[in-house]
Formats: sequence, structure tokens, C-alpha cells
Amino acid sequence: MKQILTTNVATSMYWLGRYLERIESTLYEINKAYDKIIDVDKDAGVKLYKKFYVDLEYTNANDFLDKAIKGEHSGNLIHLLKSARENAIISREYIEQAAFGEIIELNEIAQRVSRGSEKVDYNDIDSILSLISEIWGAQTRRGHRKASDYFLKLGKLIEEVDFRLRFGRDAKTTEIILDEIRTIFKLLNPELEIKISENENIMECLYKEMDKLIIV
Amino acid sequence: MLEKSTDIHDKFWEIFSNQNRQKIDEFKSYMDKFAVNFNLYKDGNFIEQSLPFDVIPRIISKQEFEKIEKGLIQRVTALNLFLEDLYTEAKIVKDGVIPQEFIDSASGYLKEFVGFSPSKKVRAHINGIDLVKDSKTNEWVILEDNLRVPSGASYPLSIRDTYRKIYPDFFENFKIEPIKNYPQMIAEAMNYVNTGGINVVLTPGRFNSAYYEHSYLAQKSGAHLVRAHELIVIDKKVYFKNYNGKNILVGAIYRRLDDEFIDPNFFNPDSLIGVPGLIDAYLNGNVALMNAVGNGVADDKGIYYFVPKMIQYYLNEEPILQNAPTYLPYFEKDMEYIMSNMEKLVIKDVAEAGGYGVLFGHSMSALQIEDLKMMIKASPRRFIAQELIEFYDEQCYINKELVNRKADFRAYVVVGEEVKVWNCGLTRYALDEGNYLVNSSQGGGFKDTWVMEL
Repeated sequence: MKQILTTNVATSMYWLGRYLERIESTLYEINKAYDKIIDVDKDAGVKLYKKFYVDLEYTNANDFLDKAIKGEHSGNLIHLLKSARENAIISREYIEQAAFGEIIELNEIAQRVSRGSEKVDYNDIDSILSLISEIWGAQTRRGHRKASDYFLKLGKLIEEVDFRLRFGRDAKTTEIILDEIRTIFKLLNPELEIKISENENIMECLYKEMDKLIIV
Repeated sequence: MLEKSTDIHDKFWEIFSNQNRQKIDEFKSYMDKFAVNFNLYKDGNFIEQSLPFDVIPRIISKQEFEKIEKGLIQRVTALNLFLEDLYTEAKIVKDGVIPQEFIDSASGYLKEFVGFSPSKKVRAHINGIDLVKDSKTNEWVILEDNLRVPSGASYPLSIRDTYRKIYPDFFENFKIEPIKNYPQMIAEAMNYVNTGGINVVLTPGRFNSAYYEHSYLAQKSGAHLVRAHELIVIDKKVYFKNYNGKNILVGAIYRRLDDEFIDPNFFNPDSLIGVPGLIDAYLNGNVALMNAVGNGVADDKGIYYFVPKMIQYYLNEEPILQNAPTYLPYFEKDMEYIMSNMEKLVIKDVAEAGGYGVLFGHSMSALQIEDLKMMIKASPRRFIAQELIEFYDEQCYINKELVNRKADFRAYVVVGEEVKVWNCGLTRYALDEGNYLVNSSQGGGFKDTWVMEL
């Protein structure tokens, strides 16, 4: 697949895909944990954030939402949304206009939430999730796919694999996603082939191949 | 002072009165949502903000615009001939039309480029010419020529689509000239001078004030947006570094950075936004630069004085569009006039731009005027003086009321195989009533400009 694309744009599209997927998946997990904290398991949030190597402390369900989204830790969703916006601005020429607008709107919500003195509300989460669905939808509706679109997809899929591995989800589905990743690699560079043996760390293998795909 | 209302203005107000004014907020929402930004650095902080937009368009009749168009084509043709002549034979200097001293002291004049002729001998490809309409003569007057890196075209381009969606009634009832062809005009100009290879738009990067415009124009013209380190010069040829490690030959660069920063090997060695070796490739005819290097000499406010003379010299025609009456302290007679009439003149520092270095005699104290007189006497080449043009106000709908603001008009002239004037432009209005400075960097906003049949 031929497309003239700078390393900067290819990398930005890839990271945009990763950030959006990370935000979406994290929010789904936060929603699940929030529900459990209310009356099933007070430590559900602590357990969730352990998977991200973050020690999260909170007093109740609403406080969990607030700390998960705005707290001072590496999984802070406000920072992730800001990073998504930055990558979108760099690669805006290659993003569907509607999708670009939604990304900017996402960040607006993030800024409002981070500025506000009130705690984060579950409605904010619903708004963010709904905008992300619209972004994926707008990108999917594109008729003709270019290399730039595949970098976005690649970012999304690699993040999905990362999540699945962190959460120990079933290996069969992970393998299906890895097959999809292999297909995209082939499309973007037919000379590259991802081989992962049983003893290897899947994410490290993927990162190594990414370094071969996008030459800095 | 407002221009006399015409039937078309009356019709505009009639339609406007029936529109839902709450929808005006949608323009701001659109600009925020799609990050139609004009970025600023203030107190060391990077601020992304949308340019203030006013919903009342400037309306120019097609007939009136045709005269502007002819005048602009004439002017830009003469300016291109001047630049080509100046950097090759310099006949205009040898014939005594422009004093050598004026050329030598122009900050944008680059002696190193004497003898070099760029692709197809086009030097000023994309030009922003600033005009105002004089309320005394009812004529359009040229205030400034921008032949280096004029910006602003993307703002009316972006807003027009939104305007059509929010208030379609105007476009159904009026014959408004379409404006979507501007990126195509740029693409044609790039293709015309292209030396073989792809077209790129070279941006200083994400944090430049006009990054939105760079990205927008690249996308719409089919060129590729690049930063300096995404280009590489090998054997005096410029290549685009593709993500897969392959290099792709570049034939034309629409550069959105000043001469000084474009090549650290040739100009400012500290530049981090330039492409090392680019000038070498350019001087060997292996890539076209839009606009050409060294055009700053024609932007110089002192050289502006001589543009009507250039038109007579190169085209043997009388200028269709006039300059604002301008005086050069360099000439003894002009110096005398300036010293005696400072209170009613506008004094401009030739090295400044963006509304900076502009002093209005009528608003200065006696002491300030005396100080300025001393400065002018000490460095006569540094200043020009102009009669204050009482240009028309435009009505603006600000804070839910109609107010008058001074407004200028930046016309865009693109030179490829032909010289073409875009059927639109950037109408900029001042922040406050009575303020003559309309620049975005001075807090001004913009309007759409409708060229339409009566």
C-alpha cells in the first residue's frame, strides 16, 4: 500500500488510535468497577488500577470516579484525552472532519471536567464513550482506505492486545486480533512479518515490528 | 463612517432581520470544534484561540471587484518583474527609478541571490495585498504588499461552508461568487513552477500561529504538510522522508517560514525549523520555493513608495489602484513636509509588521512628536510617513448590537501560468471603535467577504 506520509503523521495516527482505544477500554472498566464499588466490592477500583500499576485510594464510588479520571497518576484520563487531541491536530489532514471535530469535543469535556470543582459524574463518562464511538464510526465509514487509516487501526488493535494481556482475557480472541495486526503490517510493508513464539513477550515483539514499520 | 448603502445592502438587512440570531453562536462552536485557530504566545504561554469572527459580511459588487482585480493583477505583475529585474540586471536601479541606497538598506534584500533566477522566473507566487476603501475619494487604496508569507486565506475559506449551512437564505437569494477554488489556485501555481517531484507545504510546526492554515491548505491543495526534519537534501536535491524510510523527490515547496529560518547552512545557523542544504538545491534549480527567497525587499515599506513607478517602468501603464499618499524622509522635500505636518500623518517603521511600529501623529503628545522628529532625522531610511486614510467602517454585530469598526481587506493574488485574484479575501476589523489597526495580532477579527452580482 503506497501513501506518502511523514513519520510524524504515521506515528501520530498510530498513537491517536492507541489513546482512543485506551480511553474507551479504561472507561468501560471504570464503569464496571464503579458499579461494583457501590454495593458489591469496595476494592474493585483498587484491583482495577493495580493492573495499570497504580495504587488508587478513594472513599466511595463517586470519589473513585473522580480519582480514576482526574487523579495524579499515569492513567489520568484528562491527560490521555489531551494527548489524543495533540496527535489529531498533527495528523488532522488525514482524519475525517467529523471525527476530528469529535476529538476536539472530547478534549473540551476533559477540560471542563478538570477545571470544575465538582466531582466527575457518570454522565461525563457516557458522553466521552459516545463521542469515541462516533469517532470510530466516522473513520470506518471512509470508503477508500489509505495507509494513514491503517496506522490508526493498528494503534487501536495493538492497544486492544495490550489490554487483553493485562486483563488475562482469552487467548483465542487475542490471536484473532494479532492476525488482523499481521494483515495490516503486510499491507503497509509486505516485507515485514510478525512472528511471536510462545516464550516471547507479545507487546515487545509488536513494538519491535513497529520500529521497522515506521522509520524514524 | 459607513459606506453609502446600496440595494444589495438593504436586501441583506432584510434577510438578516428574519434570521435566527441565536444561530450566530454556531460559528464560534464550529471554529472551536474544528480548531480553526490563530495561536499566540503571551507572557511565555502558548495560547490556542479562535480568531474573532463577525457574521456581517463585507459585500463588494462584482463590478467593483473587477476593477480591484485588474489593479491587483497589474500591481503583482509589476512586482514580479521588479524582483526578477532587481536580482538579475537591476535595470530599474541603473535607470535611476529607485535609488541604489534604498535597495541596499532594505532588510529583505539578499545580495547573495543576485544573478539567480527561479523556476519560470516567478518570484511572488502567493501574495496578500492589503487595501482599504477611502471614504473621501470612495476609491480603494493599497496600504501594503505582502510578498513573503502572507497568511489568512484559510479563515474565510473555512467559515464560508459553515455560513452556507447556518444561513442558506443569503446564498439562495444572492449570486455570491464561490470561493472554493483557492486551494486549486495554489496547486496550479505549485505545479507550474514544480521542478519535478511532489508538492509540499513546509510548516515551522504545530506551535506556529498559523499552523491551522498550513494544515488546511496542504490538505485542500493536495500537497503534503512537512516540518523541516521531514525533508532531506541529498546531492543538491530535496527529498521527502517517507515513513517507510524511502525518500521521495520534492519539486515545489510552499514554505510558511521566513527567509531567515529556511536553511541553517545559509542563513541563521541557530534555526531549528529550516532544512540544511535547501538553498543549495534551490540555487541549482532543483526545487521551487514559494515564495522566492529575497522577496522581502518588495515588502519593504520604503520600496512600497516606488510600486506605482514600477508599474509605469515595466508595464508602461498608469496604476489602476493607488498607494496611500506616502512621503520618504530620505527625500529632502518630503522630509520638510513630514516635519511640518507630523500631527496629521501616520508614521511607520519600515522594519515592523503586524500593526507594530505604526504611530498616529494625531494621538501623540507634543513631546512624543519632537522625539519622533529627532529619530526620523537621525535615520530617515527607517521611516515612511503617510496621509491618514479615513477608510470606511464596516458594520459588525458584536455583543448583540450593530457597531461600526474600521476594516481593511486583504486580497490574495496567486501567480502561476497566469496571475489570478481570488474571489474573496480576508476582511479584518479592528477590536475597538475608531481604532485603525485591524491586525489579528492587535486583537482584530475577521469577516467573510462576498463578491456578488447586483
